[in-house]
Amino acid sequence: MSPRNFRNQFVVLREVTKKYGGLTALKKISFEIGEGEIFGYIGPNGAGKTTTMKILVGLLTDFEGEVYIGGFQVPKQKSEVHKLLGYLPQSVGFQEWRTVDHALKTFGKLSGLTETEIEKRITEVLDLLALSEVRHKKIAQLSGGMTQKVGLGQAILHNPKLLILDEPLNGLDPLSRYQFKEVLLKLSKGGTTILFSSHILSDVQDVADRIGIINRGQIKQVGTLNELKEHLAEQRTVEVLLTYATDKWREFQNIKHVKSVEQPSVGRILVNIEKGSDPDDVMNDLAQLIVKQKIRIRGINLLSPSLDDIYQKYVQEGESI
Amino acid sequence: MKLPLLFTDELRGFYKSKLMLILWIGLPIIALLFRFAQTTSTGQDIPFTVISTIVISSLAGTLSSVMLAVSIINEKNRNVYTLFLIRPLKRRELLLAKFLSVYICVTIASLLAVFVGMTTDYITTGMLSTKLIDNTAQSLVTSLSMLAVSCAAGVLIGVASPSVMVGAILVIYGGNQISVIPLMPTILNITYATLFTTTTTLLTCSLLLIAAIGLFERKQF
Repeated sequence: MSPRNFRNQFVVLREVTKKYGGLTALKKISFEIGEGEIFGYIGPNGAGKTTTMKILVGLLTDFEGEVYIGGFQVPKQKSEVHKLLGYLPQSVGFQEWRTVDHALKTFGKLSGLTETEIEKRITEVLDLLALSEVRHKKIAQLSGGMTQKVGLGQAILHNPKLLILDEPLNGLDPLSRYQFKEVLLKLSKGGTTILFSSHILSDVQDVADRIGIINRGQIKQVGTLNELKEHLAEQRTVEVLLTYATDKWREFQNIKHVKSVEQPSVGRILVNIEKGSDPDDVMNDLAQLIVKQKIRIRGINLLSPSLDDIYQKYVQEGESI
Repeated sequence: MKLPLLFTDELRGFYKSKLMLILWIGLPIIALLFRFAQTTSTGQDIPFTVISTIVISSLAGTLSSVMLAVSIINEKNRNVYTLFLIRPLKRRELLLAKFLSVYICVTIASLLAVFVGMTTDYITTGMLSTKLIDNTAQSLVTSLSMLAVSCAAGVLIGVASPSVMVGAILVIYGGNQISVIPLMPTILNITYATLFTTTTTLLTCSLLLIAAIGLFERKQF
């Protein structure tokens, strides 16, 4: 995704700490989310993602630190905050007797929509989520994925300025996940600020403007995917793919600023560059050596860390503490 | 103020889940069965109206407190309240809507059972004495008072219990015993028993509901 600029900070968390008895679930976490931004929140189970979201939506009120949404303080100005947000919890539950239509009507009324607005919005939301066919069905009879979509429906029904989604893609098939992500992008373009958590890193990568990594109740890193890559890429690696097996690759070790060279599989050479050195200089020297040594290659690439690599790094870092 | 909306929503839920129908038809039928069993076993006729009120206060009280406790525990454990609590409404409105809807449902069921009782008595004896009507009215006040306390106890137990099993045990051992409180002025033969019953009921219900609301307000979902 190309980076977008967000001037106004719509969500602000400052030094937020939450304890459950003797267990500290969040340790002085701070981050901000710009208006209209999609913020991907990732971390392993029990890292503190759901706790953060519950604090934001006002379900958990007993915490230290400061939280603001749209300029209103949480939980002090909860009623103002509640008018601004839509929330999809990790496990969404509806009363068994409710139909999709009835659930949306009730939540629409509770969110302050008029009868006319409710009718209009229900039709729009069900069309958007491809749920029109099940409008009058009981939610209890729907599949897990469909129920999750109804959950998103109730969250976006009143056109909230902030959408908080806790693991919204769980239990969805690939097509539904794609549709879900499209909906998020569409809402964001319309100005909705979105905070969502997920374990599926590729999904976060697809839609998030910025990503926050949390582990053991602490924010490890916040930034755009490129910023996170830059931060991680202190040690860069160049991959050289040989056309045929040869020992000449050992010569790469003599290039200036090359820390080490390894061959993880036949014909695939990884050249690790020293920290702080310019990878372009090393690649230039490498290319000259390849020509000089008449080594036949299929390709030469500067490897960029994936979100998986970044995630693993920060999570493992936490595990080793 | 979302209470009227939540109240009608709860009533609709009872209607849709057939609970309302079961209560409204079931309670008069059970009262009729009691009447039949009483006639055949002793050969002596107690006015059916009296039987109806006894059935109401014992059976409907248990039913209403179980209904409320179980529904609150289930909805709490299935995260149903989360979607309500993130909207601009007061937590207490959720509990009051539940209390009022169940109480009104069982009150209607009780009135139906008494109506069936009076009709049966009128058909079998050909008359309804003024004394019987007075006694029935007094019994009905006591029964409805006991029902109100049972409902309030059901709400408190529902909010406080972590599981349906614990809730059911508490309702059987605790809720039903508390509901006897409105009966005390009658048992103790106090003058103006009806007035005392009403006052005791209002006080007990208020205390139970305030405790339930207090717990619910502090609950971290």
